[in-house]
Amino acid sequence: MGKILSIILISAFVIALGVLFVIGFKPDAETTGLTQNVEVRDGIQYVAVRAKGGYSPRVSVIQAGFPTKLIVATDNTYDCSASLVIPSIKFRKILQPTGQEAIDLGTVRSGEKIQVLCSMGMYNFQIKAI
Amino acid sequence: MKTYIFHVSGTHCASCKIFIEDALNEYSFIRKARVNLREKTVHIETDSDQSPEALTQTLTDKILPHGYRLSMEKMIPQSHTATLWKAIPIGFVVLVLFFLLQKSGILNLGIGGQITPVTSFIIGLIASVSSCLAVVGGLVLSLSAKISQDDSRDTTTFVLFHVGRLLSFAILGGVLGVVGGVIGINATFTTILGLFASLVMILLGLNLLGLFTKHTVGLPVEFFNFFRNIQHKHLTPLAVGFATFFLPCGFTQSMQFSALASGSFLAGFSIMLPFALGTLPILLLLSFGSASFSRGKHAPVFFQSVGVVVIGFGLFAFLAALAGLGIISPLFNI
Repeated sequence: MGKILSIILISAFVIALGVLFVIGFKPDAETTGLTQNVEVRDGIQYVAVRAKGGYSPRVSVIQAGFPTKLIVATDNTYDCSASLVIPSIKFRKILQPTGQEAIDLGTVRSGEKIQVLCSMGMYNFQIKAI
Repeated sequence: MKTYIFHVSGTHCASCKIFIEDALNEYSFIRKARVNLREKTVHIETDSDQSPEALTQTLTDKILPHGYRLSMEKMIPQSHTATLWKAIPIGFVVLVLFFLLQKSGILNLGIGGQITPVTSFIIGLIASVSSCLAVVGGLVLSLSAKISQDDSRDTTTFVLFHVGRLLSFAILGGVLGVVGGVIGINATFTTILGLFASLVMILLGLNLLGLFTKHTVGLPVEFFNFFRNIQHKHLTPLAVGFATFFLPCGFTQSMQFSALASGSFLAGFSIMLPFALGTLPILLLLSFGSASFSRGKHAPVFFQSVGVVVIGFGLFAFLAALAGLGIISPLFNI
């Protein structure tokens, strides 16, 4: 009896944990247009991302072929999202608790995805070029 | 003369046999003590008039400081799988609650303006229940539970660990203030240290579950022998506590960064020490909670639940660290 109840409980909690993680998953669907946090000024493409208790937006869609800068804004950010890592360009930096950090991403090719995360790895976001 | 056969636990090495036999033979009322490592038993020939129960206690007192324990009944098997059916759900509840807390966003409350000792204390309080708990707290919990399991009266080890932790935050915080921007703490180094810590947690967790008695001879035991080695009895927990300064935790890294920018020993000191003090209540709770549970009748369930939680934290920290190093793409985002 106790064993059956326990098995039911265990499966329930495994599902709950799974759901928790899946909710955190990237909404991969709509990649048709540029996301709103992207703008081109004087021939340079800027992507703005907010860092505090994670990153938002989780997915940024940019246009390929432009010199691109990532602007990460912190606002009293002391958690892991202040400790920024971009593996593909070997960028690692602990950001000021409050401020903006401009990171040069170069010119991104179409179809390329740039993964950005915090140094502990539990917060992340993606930049995709179309 | 009487002959008894007692069960012995904690015999993980060939030399344990010699050690236990020598230790027990020091009693004048013991005529002969012989350890069978394979059966995990001790054959004792004694002149003592003590009851078997009293005798086990007397002899255990002698060898317990070295991690061995005598018992009348075999301590390990059946009970383990029986309590496991309680321990796994309990462990999962804790894990679900922990990740829900992380997702809830309660921990993102704004702390504005300059960092003062008060704000760094509050940041420490928040950090101690944040995802850092999976790394630092998981390590503290697994070490504490394991130590309590071996000897429930051993609390000096915890105290030394926490003293080492506070000292390192105070001193290294001050040092960061002095050296300023000259050197930073290498983030790759902390991530690799975190990877190591997560492996220790997973192994200790498996060990606490007690399911894989054969595998207890792996890293955990050696690590523990090192951790509680007689010569390093005081030094090792201090050193491990000291090393927690470098464990990966976003909050710790931000505070270290602020200490680097602070410009003086005193300024760095007064950022990092209050931060460490802020993390202290939860970590003390984990250590001394383990110790008090280990004396209670729910000890077996407690240790196994801790095992489940620690394995969960360990896996989380391990996968996150691999993602942080860019080896795998991130699997989750809490």
